[in-house]
Amino acid sequence: MVLMMAVNIAFGQDPTKGRVIDGKSKEGIPGVSIRIKNTSVGTTSDYNGNFQLSQKTPLTIIISSVGYQTKEVSLTASSSNIELTESTQDLDQVVVVGYGTQRKVDVTGSTASVKGEELVKQVVMTPTQAIQGKVAGVQIISSGRPGSSPDVRIRGVGTALAGTATLFVVDGVLTDDITNINTADITNVDILKDASSTAIYGSRGANGVVIITTKRGASSKLTVNYNGTMGIRQAANLVKMANATEYANYVSAASGQLERAGDISTDWYGTILRTGIVQQHALSISGGSEKIKNFLSLGYLNEDGIVINNNFKRFTARLNNDYIVNKVLKFGLTNAFSNSLDRNVNLGTAYNNAYRAAPLIESKVNGLYGNTSLYQNVGNPILDIENSNDLSTINRLQSSLNVDLTILDNLSFRSSIGGDLIYNNNRVYNAKFLNDNSTFIQAGGNQRNPNSNLKTAQTTSFRWVWDNILTYQTNIKDHSFKIMVGSTAEHYAMNYFTAFRQNVPAAENLWYIGTGNANTSTNDGFGDEWARNSYIGRLNYNFKDTYLFTSTLRADGSSRFPTQNRWGYFPSFGAAWVISNESFMKDLTVIESLKLKASWGRVGNDRIASDSYITTVDPNLAYAFGGGTATPGSAITQLKDKNIKWETTEELDFGLEFSLLKGKLQGEIGYYDKKSKDLLINVKVPSVVGDKDGVILTNAASIQNTGLEIAMTYRNRLSNDLSYKIGGNVTLNQNKVIGLNGGQPILDGGIGAAQQFTTKTDNNQPVGSFYVLQVLGVFQNDGEVSAYQNSKGQVIQPSASAGDFRYQDINDDGKIDDNDRVFVGSYQPKAYFGLNLGLTYKAFDLSVDAYGNVGNVIYNGKKAFRQGLLDNIEASMAYSRWSRGSGINNEPAANAGNLPASTYFVESGDFIRINNITLSYAIPTKILDKIKANNTRVFVSAQNIFTFQKYTGFTPELTGDPTRAGIELNAYPTMKSISVGLNIGF
Amino acid sequence: MNSAMKRNIFAILFIISLGWQSCTSDFLDVPLQGKSTAETDPDLAQNLVIGVYNSLMTGEAFGAEGDIHGIAFVSATNIMSDDAEKGSTPSDQQGTVGVLDDFSLTPTNLFVQSLWAGHYNGIAKVNNALVIIEKSTLDDATKKKLIAEIRFIRGYYYFNLVRWFGGVPKILRVPNDANDANSDPVFQTRASVDEIYQVIIDDMSFGINNLPLRNIAGSGRISKGTAQAMLSKVYLYRKDYQKAYDLSLEVINSGQYDLLPNYETIWRQAGDNSREAIFEIQTGQFNNSDYGINTYSMFQGPRVGGKGGWTDLGWGFCTPSQSLVNAYEAGDVRKNATIIFIDNSGKYTGTRLFDGFRIPSSDSVQNLRYNYKAYHSENKNVESFLGNRDRKQKNVHLLRFAEALLINAEAANELAKPDLAIQNLNRVRTRANLAGRATASKEKIREYIWHERHVELAMEHDRFFDLVRTGQAATVMKNNQRNYMVGKHEFLPIPALQIALSGGKLTQNTGY
Repeated sequence: MVLMMAVNIAFGQDPTKGRVIDGKSKEGIPGVSIRIKNTSVGTTSDYNGNFQLSQKTPLTIIISSVGYQTKEVSLTASSSNIELTESTQDLDQVVVVGYGTQRKVDVTGSTASVKGEELVKQVVMTPTQAIQGKVAGVQIISSGRPGSSPDVRIRGVGTALAGTATLFVVDGVLTDDITNINTADITNVDILKDASSTAIYGSRGANGVVIITTKRGASSKLTVNYNGTMGIRQAANLVKMANATEYANYVSAASGQLERAGDISTDWYGTILRTGIVQQHALSISGGSEKIKNFLSLGYLNEDGIVINNNFKRFTARLNNDYIVNKVLKFGLTNAFSNSLDRNVNLGTAYNNAYRAAPLIESKVNGLYGNTSLYQNVGNPILDIENSNDLSTINRLQSSLNVDLTILDNLSFRSSIGGDLIYNNNRVYNAKFLNDNSTFIQAGGNQRNPNSNLKTAQTTSFRWVWDNILTYQTNIKDHSFKIMVGSTAEHYAMNYFTAFRQNVPAAENLWYIGTGNANTSTNDGFGDEWARNSYIGRLNYNFKDTYLFTSTLRADGSSRFPTQNRWGYFPSFGAAWVISNESFMKDLTVIESLKLKASWGRVGNDRIASDSYITTVDPNLAYAFGGGTATPGSAITQLKDKNIKWETTEELDFGLEFSLLKGKLQGEIGYYDKKSKDLLINVKVPSVVGDKDGVILTNAASIQNTGLEIAMTYRNRLSNDLSYKIGGNVTLNQNKVIGLNGGQPILDGGIGAAQQFTTKTDNNQPVGSFYVLQVLGVFQNDGEVSAYQNSKGQVIQPSASAGDFRYQDINDDGKIDDNDRVFVGSYQPKAYFGLNLGLTYKAFDLSVDAYGNVGNVIYNGKKAFRQGLLDNIEASMAYSRWSRGSGINNEPAANAGNLPASTYFVESGDFIRINNITLSYAIPTKILDKIKANNTRVFVSAQNIFTFQKYTGFTPELTGDPTRAGIELNAYPTMKSISVGLNIGF
Repeated sequence: MNSAMKRNIFAILFIISLGWQSCTSDFLDVPLQGKSTAETDPDLAQNLVIGVYNSLMTGEAFGAEGDIHGIAFVSATNIMSDDAEKGSTPSDQQGTVGVLDDFSLTPTNLFVQSLWAGHYNGIAKVNNALVIIEKSTLDDATKKKLIAEIRFIRGYYYFNLVRWFGGVPKILRVPNDANDANSDPVFQTRASVDEIYQVIIDDMSFGINNLPLRNIAGSGRISKGTAQAMLSKVYLYRKDYQKAYDLSLEVINSGQYDLLPNYETIWRQAGDNSREAIFEIQTGQFNNSDYGINTYSMFQGPRVGGKGGWTDLGWGFCTPSQSLVNAYEAGDVRKNATIIFIDNSGKYTGTRLFDGFRIPSSDSVQNLRYNYKAYHSENKNVESFLGNRDRKQKNVHLLRFAEALLINAEAANELAKPDLAIQNLNRVRTRANLAGRATASKEKIREYIWHERHVELAMEHDRFFDLVRTGQAATVMKNNQRNYMVGKHEFLPIPALQIALSGGKLTQNTGY
């Protein structure tokens, strides 16, 4: 696609002013970077594309912006409009790298960038959600829970037990949680994928880094922007449970006793799920003078969960200011305040109970609850949710102040100090109710709460980070160098306090600890504190824009490791060859650009608890000598590894970037080989050593991820009114454990009473692979049971009867036990992909995105949890179950659950989802001019509206710990939503 | 100020800021917040001793921490014996508890693993405490007394282990780290039964030699009497009747202990730490809540069933068997003190318990009999109860004076002192409102005593061990239609997980 770009410059007086506009639409382009050549002095354009520079003409400036060709323009007093007609290449974007920026063309590692305006088109709470399916190598696994942010897995699972959270860097402040950021405030999201890119973040780079840059003001007249959306959402996919008749027939068949269905048939999921309403509003004011630039924004988000009572509200305010004192000295201030109200529901209990509760029981009639526990020892899920009120109020202030000194034209210094203060105040009130006729339709059962109670918990944390960065750049003929050195220090402190009392009155205005019975009060508290100190350096070398080299080094010191392992060193090297800039390529007009790159880097993962290497004493192990009040005692219950260190990942990365057919076809092919070693795992030790949990956390495992990423976009303009874009990306990843170094395999994923574990993380298998019995079929008659023998003629399942599963006796020992389990795959997909379509016709713009994965398996934990005769069943089981003479071989006879872990519960995780359809209409300028508005757009957007999945549960997209993430037990269902929105600027 | 000067100042500022970070090397020496270590607790030695006592309450049968006197203990003692059946609904906990009841258990049984882990975690607490006490600045007398108390508990844990598993790893020290734990054969191989008994005898003898006759009356602290009585029982298992006799006689003649006049009072809160108590697990309150063994009472409480409509008292496990009912002679007051009988007369009169609580009749109750000795009242006017049904303040009676009398009687009989045997036996029978036994042959008296142990100590976690010790197990279990196999079911299987973790060096018991 050929885009026109124009720079209109207004001159005559000091300072230099200008406006950057899109060559085609003639509209101003916001957020364009304008930099005076060979210096780090620059500015960005405002919403209308206006900018001003304090320097006088003549000047040579470099103008760059995401999606546009970077342009060098010489400004002289006599210059007026400069028309530019260059084709666009993504390679010319400016991207944010750690502690600085680079032209994308100079980047030797693997990064990806998403513009803020892409993010606000979708109704998503966190920006990472909007990236789903857009970037190769990045898997976004969303949870539908309001107030939660999705799991981001970059290039496979590279850890087992340490934190998997991606590091976020918000305007230079490092954090694990970005749920406080108003999406409308974001200019750019940059994702650093490979180790050579993230090595500048050293011991925290192992899970990838996402850098978020928020908007800043420009020196121009004031502009006002409003951005609002409103929508509805529902569960994307529901599991149909048996109705009363189907249930009664199944239970009768399983027990041999007649169970009759009455008039009642409750759809329990229907009673706790709903259609939720979501709205968000963002208002921003931007502008300033050449000395002071301001960006002020206010945001409001209100998300209803699709489970009753579940809601998330967030109010945000941001004030980003820049103060330009003179050519040498500049200050920047960033302030983001957020206030969130998170009304949580205990999904674990309610969801599980909704699956198990019998449809024969009433849900709730005239304020009285159906008594499921009287019938089957399962709580009424509506009551589970309604009798508990869990609200977290989170106030968060994230601020930073930076000082920029331009010591020489090519030497600059930045000192930046940032703080992140979080107050989280949680209160959970559980109302009193008895198992009598005032609560239930029928009295009895064991669901009751004889004493109301209130628990409050306050967490206060403060983190500060101080960076000092010196940047020097110079050109010696065709050799260009950029050198950055710096130091950073970081400190974190957290304080937790909780209190509890019973017999707190039911009125919400009395939900304070003081109103409860003091004789029941308990409290607890703990804290955490750690510090990091690091030194960083980076060298960029560029020869004629053809040969590029980057090297970084970070030395990281962390208080969380014993003195002898305190410091770690994280180097990286990267090189690129821009083949298309070679003279021999000039004649090949079909190739516009071609860049080959290779890099290597080492990064770490230090997300472990502060006491991991220190032997601690457990307090409050009391004994009541002679009865009455017990005397507190203590015990040493844990064996610790005194030599613990961080996990280390080394990654080799190759990439080929290309742009063909005058930029119509752009793409990138990448290969990576990522080895993570010294991974922290819990090594099981014999119970005789007396470790309370039977495991010792130590560095023992190694994991390898190898993969191939391909991303391509084809853009074409058919006429002045019609253009389209087709983009796609696919990532093939292979994950395997390559060493346990004496550690035992990790068994995890226990479900219910009958399945103590379902996954095994072992050599040569992907992390969290399912390890279960192999179902061979169903015994069709008793003869088959006695005929099922091992090689020695022993009957393998003597206690089985017709209709039971036949399991494979792998070791031929004549019995079925844990030694007969086999590996049957992992939740990690062999491939995942995204497809992005765009169509622009006049003022209409349509985008359609799809996302999916193949080659993984999911464990149907809900089905596996079924542990009693009276637990409900999925409707499909009512019809597909085995009966004598049916010949059915994949579903057992009606049974009481408690089945062992087997391939019966393992299902394909393949799916494809249309995760976004957005149609927008830009209101024509002539209408807008009448109301003095500009940049105005209305849109309608649908998320996750179609899903094609093989899995029979709610969702194959599952978040969780690496060793057990593929089990669907209490996952918040993925949601589909439809929303309408408006962007308007003045 | 010219620009060069300015730049110099900036350069200096920059160097200072870099320097600040590098000079403060102790910036990274952040003390661990909120968790004490061995160095930061001045009273560590005494606290660790209390921590060892606390381990007597361990009851995490489903968790890694394991079980010492929780529901796995109840299952592998009472339920595994002919005293009781699994109870509850037929399928409830069949895989964990039911297989212990009907002897179909395998080495992967979770409760067996829990008992193994729980006891060794308790032993490790003793071993850790021993190191700290030795290093502490306490005076020697205090040190010895503290060591004696916790070594008794270690000996008791080994006594349970050797009775359940036979020879087990003999762990008398704390491993340095994971490598030590995974390499020193001590942590992987089984010692012989004799070696384990020697540990028990050494630990308990140390207690006898270093503890006061009665350690703070009514406190439940281990005393010389506790160690003497328990060691006399150990000697019964070793068939060293002289030592069993001598030690139990010292207890009887110490003047510290006696029978309570009323048998059922022993299991009321009023009977806690009475003069009959020799070794009793203490309960009370802590952190404004009930502080008892996790779900000990709840597990065995009467359970709703049938048409329901009442708030039940528990999960209905460990139900007294018909054979236990039959074992009582007519007029024995111990029957109704041991068993809650659910009204099954068809008259719907229900069952009124000592605290006035009325259990409905059998149409609303899951099982026909429950363990009265595990019952604790929820009526705050009758017994202490702060509302935590899982941690009821129910003391567990592990050894009491009546058993000391029966140990002495059994040893006396074996040492050909029938009169002494009958005298002790009849003291127990008289309290039970039964006529005394007349003297008889040695074999007959032995039978009398074993029978008396059965009914006197029913549901007190002794019966299974006693059946194996006395060689009655095969006959009794056969009469109770259990799948008991001689040569196999005398012992539990060694947990499969532990064998795997030892690299196969830990050997399995016969038959599993």
